[in-house]
Amino acid sequence: MTFTISPPPHIKQDTTFKKITWIKILALLPVSVVSIYFFGLYALALILAGIGMAIVTELVIEKAFNKDITIMDGQAVLIGLMLALMLPAEAPIWIPIVGSFFAVAIGKHAFGGIGSYIFNPVLVAWVFLILAYSSYMYPVSFPELGGISDIFLENGAGLLIGVSPVALIGGLYLILKRYIEWKIPAFYVLTTLVLAFLVGDEIGHVVTGAFVFGVFFLATDSPSSPVTKNGRIIYGILCGVLTVIYGHFANYIFAVFYSIFLANCVTAFIDTSTLPGSFAEESFLQRKYRKIMEKIPIERLGVKTDD
Amino acid sequence: MAEINVMETIPEKMIIPLKQHNGDICEPLVSKGEVVKVGQKIGECPSEKCAAIHSSVCGEVVSVEESSHPSGNRINSVVIQPIEETECEDFTPFKDSGKEQLISAIKEAGIVENYGTPTHLVLNPPDCDIDTVLINATASEWVGHNYETPLEYASQMLDSLRLLMKAAGASRGAIVLRNDDKDSIDAFDGLDYEGKTIMVAPLLGKRRVGYYFNDQNTDIIVASQDKIYGKNIFEYFTYNVTGRKVPFRCTPANAGVAICGVKSAKAIHDLVNTGMPYIETVVNVSGQVNNPQHLLVKIGTTFRDVIEACGGYSGEPAKLISNGVITGVAQYEEEVPVTKMTTSIIVQGKDEVLKDISKDCIHCARCVDVCPVDLIPNRIAALSNQGRFDECRQMHIENCIECGRCSSVCPSKIHVMQLIQYSKEAIARADEDFSEKESSNIKLGCSCGSE
Ligand code: SF4
Ligand code: SF4
Repeated sequence: MTFTISPPPHIKQDTTFKKITWIKILALLPVSVVSIYFFGLYALALILAGIGMAIVTELVIEKAFNKDITIMDGQAVLIGLMLALMLPAEAPIWIPIVGSFFAVAIGKHAFGGIGSYIFNPVLVAWVFLILAYSSYMYPVSFPELGGISDIFLENGAGLLIGVSPVALIGGLYLILKRYIEWKIPAFYVLTTLVLAFLVGDEIGHVVTGAFVFGVFFLATDSPSSPVTKNGRIIYGILCGVLTVIYGHFANYIFAVFYSIFLANCVTAFIDTSTLPGSFAEESFLQRKYRKIMEKIPIERLGVKTDD
Repeated sequence: MAEINVMETIPEKMIIPLKQHNGDICEPLVSKGEVVKVGQKIGECPSEKCAAIHSSVCGEVVSVEESSHPSGNRINSVVIQPIEETECEDFTPFKDSGKEQLISAIKEAGIVENYGTPTHLVLNPPDCDIDTVLINATASEWVGHNYETPLEYASQMLDSLRLLMKAAGASRGAIVLRNDDKDSIDAFDGLDYEGKTIMVAPLLGKRRVGYYFNDQNTDIIVASQDKIYGKNIFEYFTYNVTGRKVPFRCTPANAGVAICGVKSAKAIHDLVNTGMPYIETVVNVSGQVNNPQHLLVKIGTTFRDVIEACGGYSGEPAKLISNGVITGVAQYEEEVPVTKMTTSIIVQGKDEVLKDISKDCIHCARCVDVCPVDLIPNRIAALSNQGRFDECRQMHIENCIECGRCSSVCPSKIHVMQLIQYSKEAIARADEDFSEKESSNIKLGCSCGSE
């Protein structure tokens, strides 16, 4: 009889990157459907253009550089979909095409692919688009923010993602199922709401589709967020602070995107400075206390210590 | 408490490895053609770091040859063809005569912890004084006996603890249970022992055994804590239970702590009361077998015979694992014997065998969240992969208890634990006097025949 030989562990959880990505895509479907309902088939065209170009770009690049084809893991689809959802409903059809190309080619592959890129590719592309083609990137009508109805359905929304924050409820499901982790979203939301309240911004201005989308889908993009436990808390808080700073003086919709993009810059720094100590080590304060005590020449002062 | 069955069938062939512990290999005392009795010593220790080997059956020695071992290596073994009748050595119960004698009796009886260290070395380490003995019952290994009542089990364990404390010359002792192991907790809770009532003390936060020793004003306590499993849990376990930090490259003995398993505690109890050496052990057989159970088997029985005694395979077996699905070793063949270190045998079917291809780490931090000792496994794994062992050291790689949780949750199927083990091995080898390790799945350095 022949037996398989392999190193332990011999059982693993069945969660894979592929599964996580496709479930994220599923979680974005409701909001896509609502936006198509409000903005008509043109919204569908934008979404399809985004996804299509992302897939084509991924395919071409992986073929050209002789890499494994990774279309099936869904990341290209997710990038294309997320990018399209971040566009205004009136954007010309070539905007998602250029954007998706930029996201996959530059944001993802030029930075070294999954696991190596430092900026969320979707945000890279969005920032590029807003700098290069800003006139097409501003929605014609900024929605009237404030009413409770905005939370459920907003047919005057500017961006596809703005149509219904409630349709993004899939994000909560992702957290419950642990497909995305909870620390970043929790601290992001908390910080933003508390700060916005302190500076006197109306909560209705803050809780937009873009905000919910940012919290659940952009900030939690794992390669571009910290991994240490404390690091993730700090990152969440940082995103919140930046969102309020930018949002208070400009608008909260773009604030979300910019702040997460900026927070991405310091991810590595946050990670490196929050590495945990050894399990039995002294805490930060104890360490400082010991350092100080070591400097004091207790013996020479004639004080007896029993160690 | 699970029922333990006794394996009645006599196998055709027993393979008794001359090394069933970490340390030196024993010298055979028998040769081909000789007839051995149950309990007869067949392997003599050449040094201190060793535990004697005894025959578990009556029979004729067929050969003394290199044979397969559950660690994956080939080890010199005595192959015995058992015969029907059982003729035993005369076992004499141990006469109470002090610490030194007890230690040498333990060594002679070949008692070994299931993690591989001979028990006499655990209790009487060179150059260290032991002041606390812990029986680690958190892994729920089963002792080889069916007890009439749980109380019997509990008081016997406490007796064993007394013996261990005596052998170690320790002033304090504790039995550590798992806090979800209701049966055992119930068995101990409220038990009257030596005129005192035992109360199971939960280890929470800063309340460790030291607190309870003072609080209950006793030298023996029973405590409970969360389950910890893994290969190198001893430093972490010591810290969790006693609050003492074991320095890098030291063992719990350096902190004055001896950790024994339930099985060896039971074996010592048997030794003292009946004089029987360590020749049988309980194995938990599970997975794709017809009749999974806890089985008391004689050491040296091959896995095939054990599985046959459990009703054979159900379906086509694809993977045979000794000692647990998380840290165990996959076996090449069924002709490998149960040793003193074998605690379980698991059979996996074809569809259970993993065939994962590692992808890039997506920094999802799942491994960070599950790591019980607060490491950043993904970063250590990446550094190990690049051979940056010094940086691994800075990230406290030595704390890793090799529990495999990180590998098991990783969505990218990265072999996180292997990479960490690899780097630990490399660091250990950089140490001049590194102690020899077994059953690690990685071999470093030159592999061209020198190993
Ligand atoms: S690094 Fe992995 S194997 Fe090591 S203790 Fe942490 S989870 Fe367990
Ligand atoms: S679980 Fe795997 S993919 Fe996630 S951070 Fe750890 S090593 Fe990377």
